[in-house]
Amino acid sequence: MSADRRARNPSRAWLAAQALPSRPWYRAAVACGLVAGLATLVQMGLLAWVIDRIVIAGAGLGGVSLAVAGIATAIIIRAAGQWGQEVCGQRCGLAVKRQVRERLLKHLHQLGPVRLASRQGAGVANQLVDQVEALEGYHARFRPQMILAALLPVLYLGVVLWLDWLAGIWLLIAAPLIPLFMALIGMGAQRLNEAQFQAVARLAGHFLDRVRGITTLQLFGLGERSVAEVSEVAHDYRRRSMKTLRVAFLSSAVLEFFAAVSVAVVAIYIGFGLLGYIDYGPAGSLTLFSGLFILLLAPEFFQPLRTLSQHYHDRASALGAAEGLMALLAEPVPEDDRSRTPDSLPGSLACRLTGVEFAHAGRERLLGPLSLDVLDGEVVALVGPSGCGKSSLLQLIAGFVSPTGGSLAARREPAVAWLDQRPLIIHGTLAENLRLVAPEADDGSLRQALEQAGLGAWLARAPAGLATPLGERGVGLSGGEGQRLALARVFLSPGTLVLLDEPTAALDSVTEREVIAGLECLAASGRTLIVATHHPAIMAMADRIFSLEAGQLRPVARAEVREVGEALS
Amino acid sequence: MALTLQPLKPWLAVLGERRGRLLIGALLMLLTLLSALGLLTLSGWFITATAVTAALGAGAYLDVFTPGSGIRFFAVSRTLSRYLERLYNHDTVLRLLADLRGRVFRGLVTLDAATLGRARSSEWLNRLTADIDTLDNLYLRLLAPPLAALIAILGFAGFAMAFLPAAGVLLLAVLVPLWLVLTLGCACWGWQASYRRVDREERLRVRTIEQIDGLAELRAYGATGRHQALWQAEECELLADQRRLGWRTAAANALQTLGVQLAMLAVLLIGLFSFAAGDISGPVMVMMALGTLAVSEALGNLPMAFTKLGATVRAAQRLNAQMTLRTSLQGEPLTGGGQAPGLDYRDINVRLGGRNLYRYLSLSIHPGERVGIIGPSGCGKSTLADLAVRAFDPDEGCVSFAGRDLVGVDPASLRARIGYLTQRSELFHDTLAANLRIGDPQATDADLWRALERVELKTWADSLPSGLDTWLGEQGRQVSGGQARRIALARILLRNSPLVILDEPVSGLDSATAARIKAMLDVWLAGRTVLMLAHARNAMPACDRIGRLSPGEEGAHWVEE
Repeated sequence: MSADRRARNPSRAWLAAQALPSRPWYRAAVACGLVAGLATLVQMGLLAWVIDRIVIAGAGLGGVSLAVAGIATAIIIRAAGQWGQEVCGQRCGLAVKRQVRERLLKHLHQLGPVRLASRQGAGVANQLVDQVEALEGYHARFRPQMILAALLPVLYLGVVLWLDWLAGIWLLIAAPLIPLFMALIGMGAQRLNEAQFQAVARLAGHFLDRVRGITTLQLFGLGERSVAEVSEVAHDYRRRSMKTLRVAFLSSAVLEFFAAVSVAVVAIYIGFGLLGYIDYGPAGSLTLFSGLFILLLAPEFFQPLRTLSQHYHDRASALGAAEGLMALLAEPVPEDDRSRTPDSLPGSLACRLTGVEFAHAGRERLLGPLSLDVLDGEVVALVGPSGCGKSSLLQLIAGFVSPTGGSLAARREPAVAWLDQRPLIIHGTLAENLRLVAPEADDGSLRQALEQAGLGAWLARAPAGLATPLGERGVGLSGGEGQRLALARVFLSPGTLVLLDEPTAALDSVTEREVIAGLECLAASGRTLIVATHHPAIMAMADRIFSLEAGQLRPVARAEVREVGEALS
Repeated sequence: MALTLQPLKPWLAVLGERRGRLLIGALLMLLTLLSALGLLTLSGWFITATAVTAALGAGAYLDVFTPGSGIRFFAVSRTLSRYLERLYNHDTVLRLLADLRGRVFRGLVTLDAATLGRARSSEWLNRLTADIDTLDNLYLRLLAPPLAALIAILGFAGFAMAFLPAAGVLLLAVLVPLWLVLTLGCACWGWQASYRRVDREERLRVRTIEQIDGLAELRAYGATGRHQALWQAEECELLADQRRLGWRTAAANALQTLGVQLAMLAVLLIGLFSFAAGDISGPVMVMMALGTLAVSEALGNLPMAFTKLGATVRAAQRLNAQMTLRTSLQGEPLTGGGQAPGLDYRDINVRLGGRNLYRYLSLSIHPGERVGIIGPSGCGKSTLADLAVRAFDPDEGCVSFAGRDLVGVDPASLRARIGYLTQRSELFHDTLAANLRIGDPQATDADLWRALERVELKTWADSLPSGLDTWLGEQGRQVSGGQARRIALARILLRNSPLVILDEPVSGLDSATAARIKAMLDVWLAGRTVLMLAHARNAMPACDRIGRLSPGEEGAHWVEE
């Protein structure tokens, strides 16, 4: 593979690079395939020899028993080699998947919550699970087979040429066609894949679209009609894709044809040669041994290629997946400044901002320069219209992003308690959800935290108590309950600095009141709260209130609170 | 999750409707196999026969032309039947896909909103299509190939038996059990790992979503590592299952090679004895041995397909669960109508996630009256509309349409009398005309243009190169939120129903357009019974009566303004 071809196809180069660490498995797979190929050669040779001895030389069974044992051994080795090739290839594929997933996950973590905010978790999960899954076949089956398809036919051809060069020529006529075959399979399979992929994707798109809109169809009384339409569209796609397939299948038919015709031509040549009808070249010296051996090798000559063409779709889907994965991995990661020594923080402060500035990459300055000292145990409220940078300020304090200027120190050890509008509910029990932030906590502390967060009554009603399953297949939590679960985590967390981003924005008034009661309890426990909010009751809790205007913090007098609250609502 | 094929039953019935095609496809498959068998058998016989003839020296005669043309015939027929088989069976699979999609869709379209709403995430939708795709392959992977293989084995054994009974018996004794191992045996062997696979993948997906969407929380608490351990545990299990499955498939493939090749050797040995005893000729002996080799072509793809049987059954199970859902909303069709009906809500209450949405709300809309309801989002306005079209029934109280209690009214006949503009403007990936004709399938192009003119989209539609045939949505032209809103509204105009429900009719429109649309609606709505829902008074046309839905401690209540 020349360098410029590599450059032309970056997905392929990337795919090859992923296999580097698992190269031993790949090599083992190729080696096993070669062993199986050699065993096949030995098996066929001995077979032809045994038949020749018995039929022509009239030898007894005793004379060939050693060779028969040899055949049996070759068969066993051949099966073992085949097994080894598959297993080693798969190990290579599994290793690649594992390692690509690890890399992706690491990259996603490096991108951090701020950059990931624009992404749908489901979309990323699809890439991480399904697209990575598509890499296995390529590494497990296609790549080892590619080497074998280049090596084994040469080996068989060499033996055939040695046995009878004219028969070799018959195969060789097909041999220059091998690159052509490859290209044909390639083009055909690719076209086939593209056509199929497109048809299937469009068809699935149509189906999904109609399922998604089923309520609308019902409202307009179009249910029955749409059933007919769904089938009709599927049939329409069938008619169209069959046109492409008719051509696409031809390429593999050509390969099949050459394989079959070569075997037929070789068989007829050998037959005529043995009968002495052919005076030319080595035909006269053909024996049953050499003739049969050649005949047995002829299909094997084409077999590796046929197998390769069967695996071709693995390549196409891997290349497709690689493109998406490369794009994700190419997303620039923000510079990690954790190596920087943390700015010192006087004992009585929870965080200190000195001339902090912040701008999103390539955009105007959003915040700063601003300075702020927050005392231990203080409650600070941030107000301001949406988009003014409240969330960014909290993200800066949490350390999700680094300031573009100035210095910032915050008590982030051992943890920062964080609560925003989308609480994380993991698939697992209630207890597992809570222990995520405090793995050592006993059941008593979990109950206490739930009580403090206003979920005591809910817990009392739940029959399975702390073992109640939550998440996708478990009990559905309402928005308010989810938020209070996140609040319970704050209570459990050893972190004393608590950052809250609009904790009540998505709640109805009843739940809102409960969450606010929880927050008051939290403030009373001596933790430091910095909260972005619009809610007058939360502002009323605050020791200090700042309005964020044009990137600057402006202290708001308590008398102003009511006014600000009204202006914002 | 014991091995069971029960879940496949309804789907096999769907396949059965195309019995003829399936049979032809399987026959073509068989023809391909027989050609391969014929090619190798005849070549082996031919070469040995020529060698024997040559060894006998001058005077011996062998007809070389008949076997020669036979060999050429098999070479061509193998290629041709293989090509035709692939083409034909592909066509069949696509037909089956159409059948299966239609069937699943028919099942879904009769469900009510509440049943449907339980499982409508996009992941569910994707899984649904993936599951259908698994089943459309049922025939091509699991039905036809083993059948063709078995017939080929029996046929070849019978053929061998005609020459040498012992060889035929031996072939049956080795190849039939091998066939059983490669089909049923592989199915059992791979069952657990493949059955679990889809669910394991789903769990890994869930863990990934948690990690991406909850990264802020995890990072702040320093809990990323703990969650990643959960993620890794899922991945480990998934990979372990895959490794187990791969190992077993490889072993079954090796067993296939071993079985067929050793059978060949055994046939050869039996042949050698009989040849030594003078029972059969050398060429026949070689022919049988070589033919046995060709059997591996029939068995080659079975292990891969059958170790994955568990996944296929799992997919069928999931679809079956979907297909057994039934709507509880049944009733008698409405008769008559055309004139504006009255709409009554009496003491209704709907419970949502343990809380009451309404506090025994009552509201009467008289025939031809226009009532507006305003209130903050989430207070239950849209639910009132959903109750009117009987998307579901209230937990308490009753809703009646033209004096008839909706419990007992066929939802389809009710909806035929209502034009309901939902809050979301749902457009389909289809042409503009098709999207409009959802309102009235019989509408002429002139009707469509008139409706477009009313919602002030005529100029825009005129400017489109393909006009009404313009494709909307993902693969077509993107429309703005305001345009989508007006297309949805045009649909309602075309619907021309006696009861009209408009949920936020002018959302997404700029204030000037909104004002003109409101004026147009004001005229168009005259004489109809109208329920309008909006977040504020100025977001809808003038009403006879306006009320406010205020959220309260025990559910929203109704305050006339």
